[in-house]
Amino acid sequence: MISFADTGFLFRFLPVFMVVYFLVPAKYRNHILTLGSIVFYALGEGIFVVLLLGLIVVNYSFESASFRVRTHKGEDHIRKARLFYMITAVTINLAVLILFKGMAVFKDNTLLPLGLSFYIFKMISFQVDVYRHRIPRSTTLAQTAAYFSLFPQISQGPIMRFEEGCFDEEHSFSWENIEEGLRYFVIGFAMKVVLADRIGILWNDIGMYGYESISTPLAWLGAFAYSFELYFDFWGYSLMASGIMVALGFDFIRNFDHPYASGTVSEFYRRWHMTLGSFFRDYVYFPMGGSRCSSLRMCFNLMVVWLLTGLWHGNGWNFLIWGGVLGIIIVLEKLLYGKKLEQIPVLRSVYLVFVIVLSWVIFAIGDLNRLGVFFGRLFPFFGDSGVVNTSDIFEYIADYWWMFLICIVLCIPKVAVLYDKHKKSPVVTALLTVIFWIAVYFSVSTKGNPFMYLHF
Amino acid sequence: MKKTPLIIALISSAILLELLAVAGYNNIYAMQKFDPVKEPVFSKVFTAINDGIYPWDIFNAQKRSEEAKEAEDLREKEEAMKSKDQSGKIENEVLNVEDINVGNSDDLNPSPSASPTPTATPSPTPGPKYPQGRLEPLRESTYDEYINHISADIYGDTGVLRAAEYEFKKVGIEFFDDALFIGDSRTVGLRDYTELKDHADFLCETSLTIKKVFTSDFKGKGTVEKALAAKDYGKIYIMVGVNELGTGTTEDFIEDYANVVDTLHELEPEAKIIIMSIMNIDREKSTSDKIFNNSNILGRNNAIATLADNETIFYININEAVCDEDGFLRDDLRGDHLHLLGASNEIVVEYLKEHGV
Repeated sequence: MISFADTGFLFRFLPVFMVVYFLVPAKYRNHILTLGSIVFYALGEGIFVVLLLGLIVVNYSFESASFRVRTHKGEDHIRKARLFYMITAVTINLAVLILFKGMAVFKDNTLLPLGLSFYIFKMISFQVDVYRHRIPRSTTLAQTAAYFSLFPQISQGPIMRFEEGCFDEEHSFSWENIEEGLRYFVIGFAMKVVLADRIGILWNDIGMYGYESISTPLAWLGAFAYSFELYFDFWGYSLMASGIMVALGFDFIRNFDHPYASGTVSEFYRRWHMTLGSFFRDYVYFPMGGSRCSSLRMCFNLMVVWLLTGLWHGNGWNFLIWGGVLGIIIVLEKLLYGKKLEQIPVLRSVYLVFVIVLSWVIFAIGDLNRLGVFFGRLFPFFGDSGVVNTSDIFEYIADYWWMFLICIVLCIPKVAVLYDKHKKSPVVTALLTVIFWIAVYFSVSTKGNPFMYLHF
Repeated sequence: MKKTPLIIALISSAILLELLAVAGYNNIYAMQKFDPVKEPVFSKVFTAINDGIYPWDIFNAQKRSEEAKEAEDLREKEEAMKSKDQSGKIENEVLNVEDINVGNSDDLNPSPSASPTPTATPSPTPGPKYPQGRLEPLRESTYDEYINHISADIYGDTGVLRAAEYEFKKVGIEFFDDALFIGDSRTVGLRDYTELKDHADFLCETSLTIKKVFTSDFKGKGTVEKALAAKDYGKIYIMVGVNELGTGTTEDFIEDYANVVDTLHELEPEAKIIIMSIMNIDREKSTSDKIFNNSNILGRNNAIATLADNETIFYININEAVCDEDGFLRDDLRGDHLHLLGASNEIVVEYLKEHGV
């Protein structure tokens, strides 16, 4: 039920929650939001809900302590005391994250609570924003708990900032908000269930007989399929999350802004998983000096940010390599060719797609030997294994061409502009209705598990 | 109302679907299971589409009665299994499991006393054309096994041992010039990555099950029936069974399998039919998956091996060639958990060459 695409969530939890949420007086909505979120998390993650509750209490305590600092010893003393609370709280949060990530690496992957990386980052941003006075007034436990545990965001973000949630305002009921949220939700739902989950099967299938045996065209097709899977899975999920938030009366949080229309890798990551990018920018890169320092220092700062980004995404060496490679490319763009490249229309797009798609291959394949084999198939300069099915791509193209076509069309920013212009027309409404039921069909017939569709 | 057209469209279409599901609840949707705690009734409409039952079939009287009857039969079967399970429990408790599973090539028809319950289920059509006769199962699948998707080992290894008595001969690659291979993705590997494709014909596709052998048109290549009509095959190899693990019982599977083998024999009487064992799964998946595991595969392999008469129908156990001493698909040969690396398919070809009939 922890997945938004699950029927238990769609047709049971969400409608019941919405009714209860809007039936209670507005001043209790943060309480209901917390309660609903805790139930949601407990249903999916069981005992780990205790960790979440514990961290909520700890973070709220430090925030309260920070706002309670009163002294006659002057502003400097107050600042130091607040700094102490902030550093202690951030350290505790980071220690918990490192502890569980470590246990996942060295013990068992199931020891990593769902969404831990996301809600810990919210907690860190919260503590720093309290210290920086971006959160001007002391919050209530209900507000803090609602912010940290928000069920639409807890498993995969977006990493919303506390002030973006306007928790001290009343989130009032509005049919228009629900309609608007539903539109985002339907689009995101279809992106995930109809596109990402289906095209992901291609990526899974090409590994069936080992990467040694796939043709070079199929290796490239697979790399594109994985890139689309990742994009529409994550963008779709973000739209579903933000759609629910809009329906509940919150502002829309943008997490993706047509990244594939970018011209450089640094621009791509300003438009991809934007809330994570801005987190690293505001809480790591800028405090280290950002780009307002020597070139050497800036390179160092960028590399730190990208290696941390790699570590945040996963436990394998491949994530570190992925972050490192992106860091190096972004450094090279800043120092050498980024500005010039942005002005060459076609070349910049080819460069961007080429680099990003290859970087996703590193992201996808955890086993470094298999990663090497896959790159050997992408660039067959050293020959092949001798057992390659050179015509393998035709069968996949016959099965998947229409999906690639939809994915490519949805990567064009003008399509979104067109949608915005006509989104209230009867045709678009009818289309969204049909799309919704197609997505429900996939969700119901796979019981929320796309890999039910894997056949051998 | 004007401001919320999508909400209205979704709610009205949901009501329509719900009405449809309720109308078809005991007929066209009678076979569709759903969990009322997690799903609305209309989820039946969607799961039914997967089974080829579309909303407009509600107007088709034949379809309505077919589905209702099938659901009734299934209910009866489940009830029968359940009641037998309860009455057979005491007998099972005193039964030594080894007595059931250890087969003896001399003892082709185990004595009734070795059977935990009388073999009341229809045995896979023993026909006169099989001189040695098809084996009876030693016991029936239990209700617990059925609902837990366990493919019961109801035959033991008697069939396997009997099939292994045949003296297979070494053959060259030209032996396969008049061979047809029917199978799922594992056979696709054999087709795409070995020299067999230059000699034999292949009708194979990912996700093939025993039920689909005669209905599939193999992505436009034509049906098995057409292929057999167009060319005289001397050998027909068949390897299916992994996709339907977890569905039905071993009895259901062997019944379907026997029908396929018998039909192949009818359509191509001169052809030798070689049943290839369902290839085992690697250690990681087999030890963690409730359905896709080697225990379930063993139950089904032991069943299909009993179809071999060593004259027209043969059984070869390719797991001898590709598995380690614990029966898991070897790590150095596998592509993913269930498939051989492209290059490893050559080992199967070598095995087939050593097991000519």
